Amino acid sequence: MKSRQEIFDIVRRSLVELFELEEPNVVPEARFDDDLEIDSIDAVDLVDHLSRIFERRVSPRDFRSVRTVNDLIDCIDRLQTQ
Amino acid sequence: MMRGRTDRLHADASDYFASSESPAVKRTDFYWLRLVGTGLWFLVFGLVTFVLGFVVLPIIRLLTPERSRRQRRSRAVLGAGMRSFIHGVNDLRFIDFEFVGREKLGQPGQLIVANHPTLIDVCFLLGFTPTASCIVKASHFRNPITRGAVIGAGYIPNAPTEDMIHAAEAALREGETLLMFPEGTRTVPGKPLAMQRGAANVALRAARVLTPVYISCEPSTLTKNLPWYRIPRSRPKWTLRVGDDIDLGAYRDAPLPIASRRLHADLAGLFAGANTVRD
Repeated sequence: MKSRQEIFDIVRRSLVELFELEEPNVVPEARFDDDLEIDSIDAVDLVDHLSRIFERRVSPRDFRSVRTVNDLIDCIDRLQTQ
Repeated sequence: MMRGRTDRLHADASDYFASSESPAVKRTDFYWLRLVGTGLWFLVFGLVTFVLGFVVLPIIRLLTPERSRRQRRSRAVLGAGMRSFIHGVNDLRFIDFEFVGREKLGQPGQLIVANHPTLIDVCFLLGFTPTASCIVKASHFRNPITRGAVIGAGYIPNAPTEDMIHAAEAALREGETLLMFPEGTRTVPGKPLAMQRGAANVALRAARVLTPVYISCEPSTLTKNLPWYRIPRSRPKWTLRVGDDIDLGAYRDAPLPIASRRLHADLAGLFAGANTVRD
């Protein structure tokens, strides 16, 4: 089990590594499509990357309702308790 | 390049529409025969596709429960159908075609990417590379004429994105050859190429070889913006040229999203360049 802060750190590091985003831009309120310019293909890459880190086979469908970084953290938090 | 494309569009428009004003431009190569023949041939093509999808492939399904063998057989049948279609229109002199380097296609784990100027591009590529799988429009899985065929052959629908990418990745890893039209749909003449990044992404995930095929058709016909019966004044000729493999190793030092953006940009440049040369 990881805390929400740990999850956030992992997500932020992943976004910076994968997409060359500036770390200060990755805030919990940032929207993937508008603020971070993550499109549907990027989302597949991101989910594949995170499921390797969290060692969980997740379906991108679990992330359908995700709009912001915070949504994603909620989602991962829920998945790890299941 | 844009200028070249635009000029071609104008040339095409006068090819089709200026018959009354400029009788100097003659309709050649048995225009009316080609027109009626083209219509009949499309009718036959639709009927054959339907029969293959609803009679032949279900029989294959019954006889071959094992998935990979079933797909191989189904693709062989569909490929033979498409090849016959091409040879048919070619032998009847409705079209000409030249396919340079097609022996380089069909390798295990090979991703073939092609531009998509005309309706029948896929018939050349799958007709002459019948072992290949193909990413096809998701609507073909709902269309009653094509449904049976695309399911039977185990082709991959282009939506939703995550399923498409994972299915394409799996197919290449299993050593299949895969065909993708990165533009997703036919090019509209006069408009710049609008490629999707999916092909570059799939290539870097799992392709052993990435091979571009450059397709052109002169005079242009069966394009996105024209109905099938706007056939050109003279017999159209398709030229398919298999390009050199693209070295994927050069992209592997970056994380996948970055690398796929770079490869995508290079692919777009290659295809745009090929179009310029053609004009």
